[in-house]
Amino acid sequence: MSKTFTLLLGTSPYSYENTLTTVKIAESALNKGHTVNVIASGDGVYCFLKAQKAKGITNAEEKFSELIQKGLRVYL
Amino acid sequence: MKNIAIILRRSPYGDINAAEAVRHAMGGVADDLSVALILVDSGVLLAKQGQDDTETGFTNLGEVLTDCMEMGVDVYSDKRSIREQNMDTADIPEGIKVVTGPEIADIIKSAKTTMIY
Amino acid sequence: MFVIVKSGPDTQDGKRGIKLARDMSADICLIQNAVYFAQKERLDGFCGKVYLLDKDATLRGIRDDELETGTKKIDYDGLVEIMADEDKIVGMF
Repeated sequence: MSKTFTLLLGTSPYSYENTLTTVKIAESALNKGHTVNVIASGDGVYCFLKAQKAKGITNAEEKFSELIQKGLRVYL
Repeated sequence: MKNIAIILRRSPYGDINAAEAVRHAMGGVADDLSVALILVDSGVLLAKQGQDDTETGFTNLGEVLTDCMEMGVDVYSDKRSIREQNMDTADIPEGIKVVTGPEIADIIKSAKTTMIY
Repeated sequence: MFVIVKSGPDTQDGKRGIKLARDMSADICLIQNAVYFAQKERLDGFCGKVYLLDKDATLRGIRDDELETGTKKIDYDGLVEIMADEDKIVGMF
């Protein structure tokens, strides 16, 4: 049965592991056909800035852009 | 030669502190500073052997710590913290000096600058 | 009831999450720095099922022989399946 996952992301992209956790859970849930919402709160909004250049760590812009193509809904 | 002490108190990966500590340690030696990287509290987990970053998107910080030592960073690990973190001094990679609280105090006292992560 | 804990044993957040799960007799999944809780003797007396994210443990160099008996490694797909099946998810601490 398809369910709705709503994930709250409240931290900036490269100071914590939360971005990766959110990306991975969202990716798996979308692949299984669930509806996934990410609500960015506080510094979490920085995960969705354009032109991020991070290397050696999950690039938030790149990964979230891919997931949005797969149907992820993001609310800032 | 000017010397700095970098103290790492946080475990790797959960936050950026360990990555920043090793980055600045390397930056320090590249800039001809004498660098002491001191692992205390859960910072000693950076020295845990067998870290595997396959498919995680992370940089393997255990390997970066080895790179630091090869570049000339002196790495110290607090004996008491090792025990508190369910590790054994035998688990600590070669080249890292296991030290006591008073020895760490001496290193910090002799350093011109201290950075805490 | 299912509790997800992400903070390590060295933090109040992590300890709070584990205590809450214990008080609610909930099952838990340990992720990020909380995977260190799965090491032997760190969760004495915990009654619920204990899952941990495989990748988060191997990233930190935690070996299988360090894990408490009965803890179960899962991947993100496994975690998402549990989350979809449970009535209520609490966390992440």
